[in-house]
Amino acid sequence: MSVILSIPVLSLITIFQSAVISRLPLNRGTADLMLVVLVAIALQKSVQDVWQWSIVGGLLTDFFSGLPFGLFTVSFLIVTWFAYFLRERIWRFSFLMQLLVVFSGTLITHGLSYLVLFLRGSSLQFNTVLQTVTLPSIILNFMLSLPVFIITQDIAQQINPLE
Amino acid sequence: MNKRFPRSIRTLAISLAAIGILALALSGVFTSLSRLVLSPLTSIQTWVSQQYQGMESFISASRDIREIRQQNTGLEAENARMQAQIVELQQQLVEYEILSALLEFARANPENKYIGASVIGRDPSPFLNYIIINRGSDDGLKRGMPVVTQNGLAGRVVQVTASGARVSLITDPATKINIRIEPSRSAAVLSGSITGDLTLEQIPQEADVNPGNLILTSGLGGNYPANIIIGQITSVKSRENALFQSASVQPVTDFYDLNIVLVITNFNPVDISPLVPIDTP
Repeated sequence: MSVILSIPVLSLITIFQSAVISRLPLNRGTADLMLVVLVAIALQKSVQDVWQWSIVGGLLTDFFSGLPFGLFTVSFLIVTWFAYFLRERIWRFSFLMQLLVVFSGTLITHGLSYLVLFLRGSSLQFNTVLQTVTLPSIILNFMLSLPVFIITQDIAQQINPLE
Repeated sequence: MNKRFPRSIRTLAISLAAIGILALALSGVFTSLSRLVLSPLTSIQTWVSQQYQGMESFISASRDIREIRQQNTGLEAENARMQAQIVELQQQLVEYEILSALLEFARANPENKYIGASVIGRDPSPFLNYIIINRGSDDGLKRGMPVVTQNGLAGRVVQVTASGARVSLITDPATKINIRIEPSRSAAVLSGSITGDLTLEQIPQEADVNPGNLILTSGLGGNYPANIIIGQITSVKSRENALFQSASVQPVTDFYDLNIVLVITNFNPVDISPLVPIDTP
């Protein structure tokens, strides 16, 4: 998928995330649509420019978030690397791979956010964060994963069909 | 016969007979007779008429059904349009009620100047209790301006762009607000948390604090104007050996349902960071 396409598509996802998804919490956790989409894209073998998609998605989320600039970009790059690593080594991957990377990605994103906020002096209890924010977020991300994976797979096949 | 009765006599006889019949009819003599004759006729006429109408309906049915379907489609479209209008009006009513309450708040606090803003989003990170509003530096917003709702304090502006601003809610884990407890007038510090709960810390042990006490901004620290309602104490924790008491606070603002807020524009926050002593080794 062309990187030029990434800017409008990911911009819309960022707006949708901020305006809608973030208003639908489960306990204190919210789904991370950008993460789920970037993982789904990174797992498509027909997509080559996954790094550009990851950077654009990270920068857009950083722009909308109050967390230190670059945190989401770094998080998404790590998650993309993990997805790319699996994609290149596993011959046939399935939807379960999407769930595995989304699970790991949520832990990475939340882990980095927790670390940065902790270093900045916020009083965050690790257990509370895990129970009220991270675990509900993982559940919500799992719920989003199936439709996002199917849609992304279809679009990727339409744009860049595999031989 | 013509020869036996002249024409004039015949005419007279017929006229008399007609008058007689008319007189008998008017006197009601023929009523039962006419009923007897007309009743089966009426029944027959009714049956014939019904059959005719049935046939006419059958013949014209296809044309009528087409017309009815067209009318039905039109009515369904009209119904959908009306339903959409009802939803729109209900939304406008909710908005009107919020604006009305905000106006009441602004009238009750005339010392402040306000700008109304719509909440257009929330921070993508669940770690931050931030909202994004549709007013920015073009509207005169500056970093540090307090944000309120019709019920009380909501937060303060932490970042401004030309057409939008990010507001840190008082439930954010990084929040620390100097407050005053009424009616004891004790000072304390309000903290947010990742769970969205508000906690009062550093309440002096000797302070008489009870559930139901009101929490207002004290104005100390220069970040918020004084006397804005924040919430009510729900429970107090006090240990004998501890230096301070602590308490849980129920905020007056519903942070899950924030749609419209007011930004206080005539408040200039005071930066006291140069006055804070730095620890030197």
